[in-house]
Amino acid sequence: MFWKLRLPLILTLLVGSVPVVTFFLTDRVPGVSFVRDKVEGYMVIIYGFALLLGVVNVIQSSVRKIEQRRSGWPFAVSLLAGLFVMGGFGILSAIRVGPFQGLLANAGGGMTPFSWMTSHMFNPLQAAMFSLLAFYIASAAFRSLRVRNLDGAMLIGAAFIVMLGRTPLGEYAFGWLPGGETWLPRVTDWIMAIPNTAAQRGIIIGAALGAASLSLRVILGIERSYLGAQEK
Amino acid sequence: MKLERLISPDRRILYLLIALGTAIPILVRIGFPVSATPPVEAVFDAIAQFDADDVVLLSFDYGPNVAPECSPMGEAILRHCFERRIPVILIAFFPVGGITMAGEVIERVLSEYPAVRPGEDYVFLGYKDGAQAAMKQMGVAFANVFPVDNDRRPLAELPLMQRVTNYSDISLVVTLTTNVIGDWWINLVNAQFKVPIAIGATAVSAPKFYAFLDSGQAIGMLGGLKGASEYEHLLVAAYPHLRPLYERPGFYTAMKGMDAQTVDHALIMLFIVLGNLFYLLAKRRKARPSAV
Repeated sequence: MFWKLRLPLILTLLVGSVPVVTFFLTDRVPGVSFVRDKVEGYMVIIYGFALLLGVVNVIQSSVRKIEQRRSGWPFAVSLLAGLFVMGGFGILSAIRVGPFQGLLANAGGGMTPFSWMTSHMFNPLQAAMFSLLAFYIASAAFRSLRVRNLDGAMLIGAAFIVMLGRTPLGEYAFGWLPGGETWLPRVTDWIMAIPNTAAQRGIIIGAALGAASLSLRVILGIERSYLGAQEK
Repeated sequence: MKLERLISPDRRILYLLIALGTAIPILVRIGFPVSATPPVEAVFDAIAQFDADDVVLLSFDYGPNVAPECSPMGEAILRHCFERRIPVILIAFFPVGGITMAGEVIERVLSEYPAVRPGEDYVFLGYKDGAQAAMKQMGVAFANVFPVDNDRRPLAELPLMQRVTNYSDISLVVTLTTNVIGDWWINLVNAQFKVPIAIGATAVSAPKFYAFLDSGQAIGMLGGLKGASEYEHLLVAAYPHLRPLYERPGFYTAMKGMDAQTVDHALIMLFIVLGNLFYLLAKRRKARPSAV
């Protein structure tokens, strides 16, 4: 009980309180800067371990998937191959073992195996995945964006103005009128600066309050699901 | 053709039109005019006021999926700094490809400025995991987070880093961001250390950052490809000798990318209009009483 529950809760309380408390104390209070710097320094190291934890988790779940021959298991094989090959070259290049002297470029300025795979495989694959969005948006625009009611009309109207104003098309649309080339860009700026900002502020403040309350629950030990324990 | 087929056309036709609308303007330059908006001008003007005594921190907080939007921003800002001999510190906080994005931008721009000296005119500190913790600790000392640069040289040996300890020695932070890392630069670094922040955001995340512009927490913003093209436009106007570079065939720039984006936006608007037109026609036909 102590090792699995109480100790983690005590550690969470101590470590979670330090950034909050030290933020409100000046460095003139003895020990503040020492404790704050130590905790923040360790946080950088612990983040690295969190990454390692993620890698271990991916390996475990992928191996399980392959062993049980679950649907899509060949993708798990390719994921593990990519992880080990690229990760292996990345680690060797980062710690500079043998011929792998440097992550982005070797000693002679040429590409390392890691940088070659990044430039010729990883980057194009990532870009291709993201660019598929353009095709889905185009299809959705034709088939789903319908003016069914007033709300829909307002949404599509705003989207039209912003899309026009965010390209030179907005300048062409009314450019034949005196001073007309700035009309749509101005309306676009107004939409972004006033209604958009008002909505974004609501979202940002709401999310911040939610994050603060959740953090407080974790620090005070009310929220314990991250320990695998049930809430009490 | 039946109305039902027009309402719900073969997706492949739409995909083909978008593919052509993207490829043709990239292959054959249209050259739509570009004019700068106030958030972009604010970033440009801030950097235009700096000189060799200032230091700009450029953070690569994006991955390859948004490189066509964010890399031209990084390149244009780096060129602007090198033109004005402003020292630059480059870092990467984005875990999935941030360091390679930074490396590619530096390599491209450095090839144009052979006189720029590593360690003096610029320092590339590399990638660090755990952006929030690293950002906070950099407020104490950069060397606590990055004891060596990306080429493993101790910071104490680099002339530029001998005059930079923490954020108090930085004139401006520019974050090229696709996600929450941009938020942290504002609500951690600007809020706690009062460093001016400029944002280079993807078009998708730009609307969120307008709230920080209005509150004064960010001095300006380059929003998406349009923002990047506006910065390039200002840069070429201020430094005309860069024009041949930006007009060179085969050299990707945001101004060229804007041609494709403009055509695609026009196509998507056309799709919305046609989709609604066919939808209304079908609705009217359904409402009409049968002729039988």
